[in-house]
Amino acid sequence: MRVPVHFYSYFKDLTGCAEAELPAAEGCTLADFLQVVLWEFPKLQAMERSMLVAVGVEYQPRNYLLKEGDEVSLFPPVQGG
Amino acid sequence: MKHQLVITNEPIDEVALLRARSISEGMGAMIHFLGVVRGTEDGKNIAAIEYEAFQKMVEHQFQLLFDEMERRWPVESVRLVHRVGVVKVNEPSLWIEVVAPHRGEAFAACQWLIDEMKRVVPIWKKPIAG
Repeated sequence: MRVPVHFYSYFKDLTGCAEAELPAAEGCTLADFLQVVLWEFPKLQAMERSMLVAVGVEYQPRNYLLKEGDEVSLFPPVQGG
Repeated sequence: MKHQLVITNEPIDEVALLRARSISEGMGAMIHFLGVVRGTEDGKNIAAIEYEAFQKMVEHQFQLLFDEMERRWPVESVRLVHRVGVVKVNEPSLWIEVVAPHRGEAFAACQWLIDEMKRVVPIWKKPIAG
């Protein structure tokens, strides 16, 4: 399957785009998919530890199993207020 | 618990917000918090901050926070307005109103809401140089 991934804040500058669509094997975890993203956008690698990850509008742990129709969002720590 | 959330590009109209306030007879505390853009960021002078939001997730995460707030404190109502886009120095970026029976609950709930917002609500800021 192919999974849409959205970038926010300065992650858009690091990737050069606001969104992309990348391949994910059936039954792969968010952690597996993140490796694909980091391979495609190596400038994000330095942000891996602080990166926040959401599927749809919910934060999800790295062992979340991706399914058809999921949309992933990656962004740096939030700064509202 | 009543709640109202507004994410807006428009300046925060404090007068209109205060005019629309509502409090029942059982409530004894209404507090307002105003977050204002500072003139410095990381020690450098700035002219403004540009706020970016992941709107759908912002709405969902605030809903989760309001639900948790209702479980923790006897808050009657909360209203929250957050600016997005460019907000100049000295202009408000955040307005919050919390109504509760007593001041302790109102202050605690408001403080908690702001702290949690800064932890989970996907809004980011980018300083614009002065």
